[in-house]
Amino acid sequence: MLISCPFCGEREVAEFEFRCTLEERGATAAERLYFRLADPRRSLEHWQHVRGCRMWLELHRDLRTGRVLRTASVPVPPADGTGS
Amino acid sequence: MTARFRNPTGGSVDRSRTCRFTFDRQSLRGFAGDTLASALLANGVHLIGRSTKCRRPRGIFTAGPEEPNALGTLDPGDRQIPNVPLTVAPLADGLVFASQNRWPSLRFDLSSIAGVAGARFGAGFYYKTFMWPAWRWYEPLIRGLAGLGCAPKIGVDRPPRERHLDCDVLVVGGGAAGLSAARAAASRGAKVVLCEQDSSLGGELQFETATIDGRASSRWLIDSERELRVAGVELLTGTAVVGCYDDLLLALCQPAGYPGEADELLHIRAAARVLATGATERAIAFAGNDRPGVMLLGAVERFAARFAVRAGNEAVLFANHDRVYCAAQRLREAGIRIAAIVDPRARPELAVLEELERGGVRICNEQVVEQVLGGHRVSGVIVRHRDGVGTPTRISCDVLGASGGWTPALQLATQSGLAQRYDAQLGAFIPVSESATVIPAGAARGKLELAAALADGTAAGAVAATAAGRDAAPAERPALVSADPAPAVMPFWRVVGGDEKRQFVDLQNDVTVSDLRQAVAEGFREIEHVKRYTALGVGTDQGKTSGLPGAAILAEFLGKPLAEVGVSRPRPPTRPIPLGVLAGFRGAPGTVRPVRHTPLQADHVADGALMEPAGLWLRPRYYRDHGESLAAAAEFEAQRVRAAGGLFDASTLGKIEVAGPDAAAFLDRIYLARPSGIGIGRARYCVMLREDGMVLDDGLVLRLAAQHFLLTTSTHAAAAVLSHLEYHAACSAAELAVSCTDVTDAWAVIVVAGPRTRQLLRKVLPPAQWREPLEQLRHMDFHCGKWQSRPLRLLRASFSGELAYELHCAADAAPPLWRALRRHGAPDGVIPYGLEALDILRVEKGYLTSAEINGQVSPYDLRLDDMVKRSAPCIGSGLLARPALHEPSRPILVGLVAADATARLDAGAQLIAAARSTQSLGHVTSAVWSPALGRAVGLALLAREFAAHDREVVAADPLRARYTKARVTAAVHFDPTGERMRL
Ligand SMILES: [Zn+2]
Repeated sequence: MLISCPFCGEREVAEFEFRCTLEERGATAAERLYFRLADPRRSLEHWQHVRGCRMWLELHRDLRTGRVLRTASVPVPPADGTGS
Repeated sequence: MTARFRNPTGGSVDRSRTCRFTFDRQSLRGFAGDTLASALLANGVHLIGRSTKCRRPRGIFTAGPEEPNALGTLDPGDRQIPNVPLTVAPLADGLVFASQNRWPSLRFDLSSIAGVAGARFGAGFYYKTFMWPAWRWYEPLIRGLAGLGCAPKIGVDRPPRERHLDCDVLVVGGGAAGLSAARAAASRGAKVVLCEQDSSLGGELQFETATIDGRASSRWLIDSERELRVAGVELLTGTAVVGCYDDLLLALCQPAGYPGEADELLHIRAAARVLATGATERAIAFAGNDRPGVMLLGAVERFAARFAVRAGNEAVLFANHDRVYCAAQRLREAGIRIAAIVDPRARPELAVLEELERGGVRICNEQVVEQVLGGHRVSGVIVRHRDGVGTPTRISCDVLGASGGWTPALQLATQSGLAQRYDAQLGAFIPVSESATVIPAGAARGKLELAAALADGTAAGAVAATAAGRDAAPAERPALVSADPAPAVMPFWRVVGGDEKRQFVDLQNDVTVSDLRQAVAEGFREIEHVKRYTALGVGTDQGKTSGLPGAAILAEFLGKPLAEVGVSRPRPPTRPIPLGVLAGFRGAPGTVRPVRHTPLQADHVADGALMEPAGLWLRPRYYRDHGESLAAAAEFEAQRVRAAGGLFDASTLGKIEVAGPDAAAFLDRIYLARPSGIGIGRARYCVMLREDGMVLDDGLVLRLAAQHFLLTTSTHAAAAVLSHLEYHAACSAAELAVSCTDVTDAWAVIVVAGPRTRQLLRKVLPPAQWREPLEQLRHMDFHCGKWQSRPLRLLRASFSGELAYELHCAADAAPPLWRALRRHGAPDGVIPYGLEALDILRVEKGYLTSAEINGQVSPYDLRLDDMVKRSAPCIGSGLLARPALHEPSRPILVGLVAADATARLDAGAQLIAAARSTQSLGHVTSAVWSPALGRAVGLALLAREFAAHDREVVAADPLRARYTKARVTAAVHFDPTGERMRL
């Protein structure tokens, strides 16, 4: 699998580490942990370019094909502090 | 001397190089260029093995990698290679190999004679039988029969090589289509790699007699290979594609072939791929079609053309297409008498038929082979009308060539994500080309005719080169070809009627027509379910010859069109490969694996330390001079720390600096115990949780300045903790201004522990600067200064229960500081100590390591309730209120003391209420023999409801038959009030 890091370019998956899949924002911690919606067509995940620039990335993946649809750096939440 | 079934001329074997080989203790001869299968057939050996389930005698069925039957064990013995397809493995002088699945011998297999296996393993046998209580009776029997071959006793001594390649165009398959694709792509300037699973290029062209552009096809082949080399195409023969993975990464394997040689694993990334994987001949199901001597028609042809080997002297051919007649002509030229050609179709209009009849070949149109006669070898067939009318006739023969047509090899196309559709003319599925970067070509998409395959390959090569960004160039002139016409195929899958239990569909797994009928009767409807229920196509051959016929017969029983039923999905590996190829590379000698040394590595080695790997680190386990054995040395070192003092290299601890205006607020979210309350110059023991509330790691937090902290982590958790901090800094706490920096390698840590510690430090640290801090530092205070003009932090903290200091110094200053401590400490009996002694000291004091913080414990389980109470809301704290975390069956940290002074405790032992109990109440996490207490002590995680002090439990280690009585105590075994470290 290849992942396109917004900072470093396209790299082998071995340089990255997966952390978690994400659910809709606003859900409680318990919901995020225990009531997951598994939509295989569009999995939103957090990965770190751990053997590269160490930045955290947001990946949209199609789990049926294993293809990375979109990569972005983890967004900075709005300044009003509603992000978490 | 030439073997009995070898023709004096013809073929591509090297008759000047004789190879002696041994098969099941029988000494035989072949030639260089033979496969093991062709060499056996040349000697008239047809009985090769027995089938896995029914133990029926089996022979050679194909001449290629699709072989279901003829698997053998190379070099039988400790290093043997099992399940080698004899139809692929090249012959070498002195080679020894053996048949499989027979006992005591191939000709006389007891289980088949006794009818043990003959009891018939019908469809779903395993599912119906692997159930208690019947399983109790079957198990010993099945265990003896189970498996395909035997694994080697000794692992590979040569690790596989691994290679990464990238190119513009990867062509898979070196037949007519593949060669022309490679040529077309290379002529457009593309960097091309071509791989072919066979040891030589050409595919079907090696066996055909055709002319291409006025040249014999054999000549064209030689010319093409030379042209491709000149054009810089990398040709990988003997290299099979294992599978297609994410982002179209192809894994390929070049198996060693011989024991002791190294396999090679290749990873190839290409801008475009041409899949010229050809087509596989398929079988027909009829009674006795598994007898040795029954093989695919194409196999009989290949053995004759390539190896000059006659698979028999008298053949019956059974096929549903025109090509059988041309094949018959060629086989006659190779010296095989054709007794009859059986064709279920009406008589086709072909000139060659009359020619064959004039030569004495009996042509049986609208007829089928009802039954094969013979035991260890075909002796004849019974032929009857396809509709069962008229009288059956018996025809003698010693080989039967059967062919049900050709199936495009779809494995790679499917794995690459291409769809497929049913082609009625071909009676098979073909891939739908919808991608510019994955391009099936030639027979792999149904272009069976040579001219069509060549033209298709050329076009595919051009498309691939364009997809790879090379210039489009004018189309080449199509080659002028004269060859066999495309075979007209009438789909024909099985002979209707007769004994369906002997009509085999999948030879490797003994799946019969009867099994498929039974599966449908039991309600199975989907091909994938039937595959798993009957084992159709799950063998090492992945049903290459049987998958489509199986699906077609299933479709017939379901009353559905084959197009609707489909074929089962082929998964990687498409060919069996040694597990060592996948597993053996990492960490093998000569491969790149970094080792992390602390700055004191040389000193430890000079002091005779036994260095132990911990992750990538090496750490001293004990010093050999301190005792005759590990236990003796560790005990001596631990005692010396408590009596005088010891030095320990703790440089492998993870060290992370956290700085920024919001550093304190950030750490309050990360840790329990509210680090924002730590004063400057103070340290605190803190614990961090995962999001689910389980303890992630523990360590000290030092406040260097108002906005500057230093964290220490366990050695093994350093990387995970750093990622955890970076993650929350980027995501959940993104509004906080903070930065995290790993400084593990910049600082060495020397622990000085024991009652004589302070006087030692007085000698080593210059008094002008250090006297005052040394006298005034309280537990968990630290002082920053210099030693020999390098930075030094002196922290008073203890992991041993003794008065102790951690000296954090610049990495380059560590060796002189260590030596100074050694020199000045020696007269007082201060010695270096290793991990074993450290473990004794910390278990005596009930301190935690990863043995207790195992990813499954909450802070309550570790009795950190007070710390939780003092905390601000932090990551994971919200989930600590889950009721399940407070149930009486949850484990909690306790101490254990062996009841008997001489008994030992074992880490990992299960805790049970009494000797015969089978219910585990918890387990021993750490155990040591304590010199301070004079008996074995340990730490354990024990269910809360059994964790009352002074309760007696049994530490059970059934594998070693050790049962030790122990008493439950507090986790702190030694100096419970902590007086010693407040000296
Ligand atoms: Zn990066």
